[in-house]
Formats: sequence, C-alpha cells, structure tokens
Amino acid sequence: MAGIDIFLQNVANGVLMGGVYALIGIGLTLVFGVMRTINFAHGDFVVLGMYSAVLFNALLGWDPYLSLLLAMPIGFLTGVIVERFILSRVIDAPPESALLATLGISLIIGNAILLTFGGEPRSVQVSYASSTFSIAGVNVSMVLLLAGIATVIMIAALYALLNRTEIGRAIRGTAENRLGAELVGIDTRRIHSIVFGLGVMLAVMAGVTLIPLLFATPTNTGAVFTLKAFVVTVLGGLGNVGAAIAGGILLGVVEVLGASYFMSEYREAYGLIAFLLILLFRPEGLFGRTVKRV
Amino acid sequence: MTKHLIGLGLLLAAGIAYPAIFPNNLTIAISVLLFAGWATSWDLLGGWNGQVSLGHASFVGLGAYFVAIGQSQFGLAPWWTMAMAAAFAAILGYFWGWLTFSLRGPYFSLSTIAVAEILRLVAINEDWLTGGATGVFIATLPEPFGIDLFSRTAQFYMALAFAAVVIATVIVISRARFGFQLRAVREDEDSAMAAGIDPTATKLKAFMLSAALTSIGGGIYGIVLAFIEPHVMFALLLSVQIALTAIIGGRGTIWGPAAGALVLVGAGEMFRTTFAEANMLIYGILILVVVLFVPRGIVGELARRHIRRLYAKRAQS
Repeated sequence: MAGIDIFLQNVANGVLMGGVYALIGIGLTLVFGVMRTINFAHGDFVVLGMYSAVLFNALLGWDPYLSLLLAMPIGFLTGVIVERFILSRVIDAPPESALLATLGISLIIGNAILLTFGGEPRSVQVSYASSTFSIAGVNVSMVLLLAGIATVIMIAALYALLNRTEIGRAIRGTAENRLGAELVGIDTRRIHSIVFGLGVMLAVMAGVTLIPLLFATPTNTGAVFTLKAFVVTVLGGLGNVGAAIAGGILLGVVEVLGASYFMSEYREAYGLIAFLLILLFRPEGLFGRTVKRV
Repeated sequence: MTKHLIGLGLLLAAGIAYPAIFPNNLTIAISVLLFAGWATSWDLLGGWNGQVSLGHASFVGLGAYFVAIGQSQFGLAPWWTMAMAAAFAAILGYFWGWLTFSLRGPYFSLSTIAVAEILRLVAINEDWLTGGATGVFIATLPEPFGIDLFSRTAQFYMALAFAAVVIATVIVISRARFGFQLRAVREDEDSAMAAGIDPTATKLKAFMLSAALTSIGGGIYGIVLAFIEPHVMFALLLSVQIALTAIIGGRGTIWGPAAGALVLVGAGEMFRTTFAEANMLIYGILILVVVLFVPRGIVGELARRHIRRLYAKRAQS
C-alpha cells in the first residue's frame, strides 16, 4: 500500500473513532454548559452503558444495539435521580463541591460494578465484530461505522431537541442565564435534571456502541473515558455542543496519526498534551467564540 | 501552636510504644501513617491554599522510583535518594505549578490529572529509566547501625517519623506568616494581591513544599513495598485517595488529614473481606456524605462545634 493510502486509512480510522469520542464528549459538554458542573463520573456512566449491554446480552441474548432501547431510558432516569438527590444540593456551593460529589459518584459506580461483575474484562461477541468493507481502497470497520451512524443520528436528534422544541429553548435559556431563565418562568431545577439525564443517556449510549469494540473493565476504563471526554470538550470549547463534535474527531485523528507516525506507546499522551496546551493558551477552546476567564 | 505541638509529642510517644504493644498490626499502621503524611502534605496545597490537586501520586511515584533505582542500579542509600527525590519533586512542582497555576478552581484540578497521566505514561514507557511496566525490585538495603530496613518495625518508625515531621511542619506553618499568606490566597486571590501578597509565588511555594514532603513518603512506601510498578505508583486512584483522605478528614485543619487517614484506612481494613478490591467504594460514599452534609470534613466540623460551644458558654456567663 502506498503512503497516501496508509494516510487515508489512518485518517478514516481516526475520524470514526473520533465520532465515538464526540458522543462521549457531547454529554459532558451539555452538562457543563447548562449546569456549570464538571462531571467526573461521566466516563463511569459510559462504562455503565457497556455493562448494561453485557447484562442484556447475557440475560436476554440481545444485540448491543437492541439493548439501547432499554439502556437509554434507564440511563436518563439514573441521571435524573442522581441530579435530584445529589447534584441539586451542591449546585450553589463552591465549584469544587460538585466536582467532589461527581468524583464520589464515579468511585461508587466503578466499585459497585466491580462488586457485581468482578474484575475480569467483559465484552459482547457480535457476528459483525471483525467485518470490514472498503470504500476507495480504505477499509472501514463495521462496528465503528455503526457507532458513527448512531452518533450522527443522536447528534441530529439532540440538535432538533435543542433548537426546535420548547424544552430545548428552556435548556438554552438556562445555559445562557440561569437567573434570567427563572425570571421568565423556566423551572431551572427541572431543566438541570433533564440535562443531567440527557448527559448520562448519551454516555450510556456511547458505552453500548463501544462494547463490540472494547473490553469493559470496572474501574480503570471509567477514568480513561472521563479524561477523553475532558480532552474532547476542552479541545472544542467547554459548553459548546457543536464544537465537541469537532473536538472528538480532532482527538481521534490526532491519536491515530500520532500513534502511527511518531511513538505509538504515547498514543494516550497526545490528546492530554493537546488538552493542556488548549487549557493554557486558549481556554475558550479551538472553536469557542466567547472569551471567558477561567 | 504549643498545644498542637504537645499533642503531636504525645501521639509520637504513643507511636513509639506501638510496635511493642501490637507487634502484629504493623502493616496497617504503616498505611495509616503514610496516608496521614501524604494527606497532610497534600493539604498544604489543597486545604490551606485551596488548590485541589489530583496528581499527587506522581510525587509518591517519584520518591519510590528514586529510592528503588538509586539502590538497585547505583547502590545509593535510601536517605540520599530520598533527599534527592525531595529536591527533584520540588523542582518538578515548580515547573508544574508554573505551567498550571494560571488556571483556577476545577480547571487547575483537571490540569493536574493531565500532567500526572503524562508522567505515568512516561514511567510506563521509558524502560531505560524506570524498568517500564515490569517494575523495579529492591533486593538489598544498607543496614544503618545494624537496623534491618526490611523489617516492618523499622519501616513503621520511618513512616512515623515522616508523618510527625509533616504534621509538625503544618503546625509551624499554620501560625507563621506563610500560613496566613496561604489562607489569604485561598479565600480571594485578588484581595490577597491587593494586600501585597504574590498569589502565584505563594501557590508555587506551597506546591513545592507539598511535593517534596509527599515524595519522601513515597520513598518510604517504595522501601515498604520493595517492588515498584508504574501502574500502582502513578495511578490516578492513588492521587484521588490522597486528596479524598484530606478532604474527608477536614481540609485546612492540622489534624483533619491524619484523622481522615485513620478513618479511611481503618474502614478499608474493616471491610476488606466484604468489598475485596472494591474498597474505594468507602471513599466514594464518604466523600458524598462529606460534600452533602459536612462540607468542612470530620475535624473541621468538630472544631466548628467546639467554637460554637465556647461562644455559647461565653454568652451565658
């Protein structure tokens, strides 16, 4: 294969992987944009999604994509409950409190999974796990393509929700100015619950689409995903849903290209270095317009 | 201050007698002391100065690696390598802080995770330096005055000395000019600046001191384990454990982090059989309880009640 083909292959892999990263990042950025809460448990909700697919597969023999039908509503409800009983109590406390609360939730989820499922890596075997097809000489993995399609559908649905519905308007209003939203009669506490529910739902969905590709382990994977989600959102600009998509794809491409052309063992580090650089020199993100002081 | 120092002296005396009374419970006592020392060091930066770091495992790892590699490859005695580790940790803390202290609040915490993770990847991948993912063994140790450093009793006294030195440092700082500067910066950086305090310099000093002290404890930890892996030493979970120990015990209090270490390591030991390797569950539950109901932590809440009672008594008389 010529150099350019390898390059295209790498870019394609990066973009597809980036789609999943974007899906993880959107949930985090949505929660941050509306609630100003940095959700440390986000990656653990992704892992929870992975295990829900494992569970439905083991109990009912369902395909991961079929289990989305149940996993997504359950994820939404989980998010609403967590927000109602924990996060809503610390929303007006200093910002570290919410961070510590989500850190606690993260530890509880990870270790509860560890107690239930044990420490060994779990996955779901699907018939299409290793099937690929090629477009113009570029091989595309079926699993990643399905994940990409799911991401696109989800983003379109989210876009419609945010921009075409009354509740979306209320969410955007709350994000813009919480007090102002309260003044025009929006129940911002309810909006916070809904938004956190959506965030968890997106995380769970990302987890389910990832399970044919990755093994789930209870405690470590959660932290990895949380970090990835932070990298994605900070690359794009915290609180900006559209930018999270670009950030996700950018992270996917940077990781794959960095790993194949420089030192592959530092694959994880490229995203983190980019994350630090952006945080330091362009805290509003690559695509952020408003300059906020952090 | 004298009151606290006397308290520390009494605890130290009790600690010196401990191995004679409970010769079979030394390993857990070493854990408590190391965590007490680490959490108290962390608290210098995280509690007294309000900069929540989630990357302190890097300094633990640094200390442990200095001791292990110094001993196994260069035959350097642990006390020299610990001093070198402390100096190097302070330098690392300086650059780390210089890089990230422009970020405030949760953003600073996020950046510490990123830096610590990069350091972890370096420790795993640079085999020539750290022995890579397989780890480093400490096979031999010198015997100063005929003391076997591999014995749990000797390690207990090292950990005891470490915790006592760290707590004494905090006691002195809490009443020194530097301690007031730390708290002023924590409460409001801009007002502190208006009062003539350089917030960045204060934070840098706190970070360097905190890093150096943590790495000394890391060196002792390396001797206790005698086998060092990057996955364990640089783990995000260890950083989280150190931070949560201090926060649950009581941020910005002298005895809070040590009390947190006693409670958390003790609880971890108690539930060891129930939870097996899921013992971080306790940390998760307790931090939620602390955030929701006792934001000052255990010792902070006790101190607040004590002060309220004093005022109530004074109002009555």
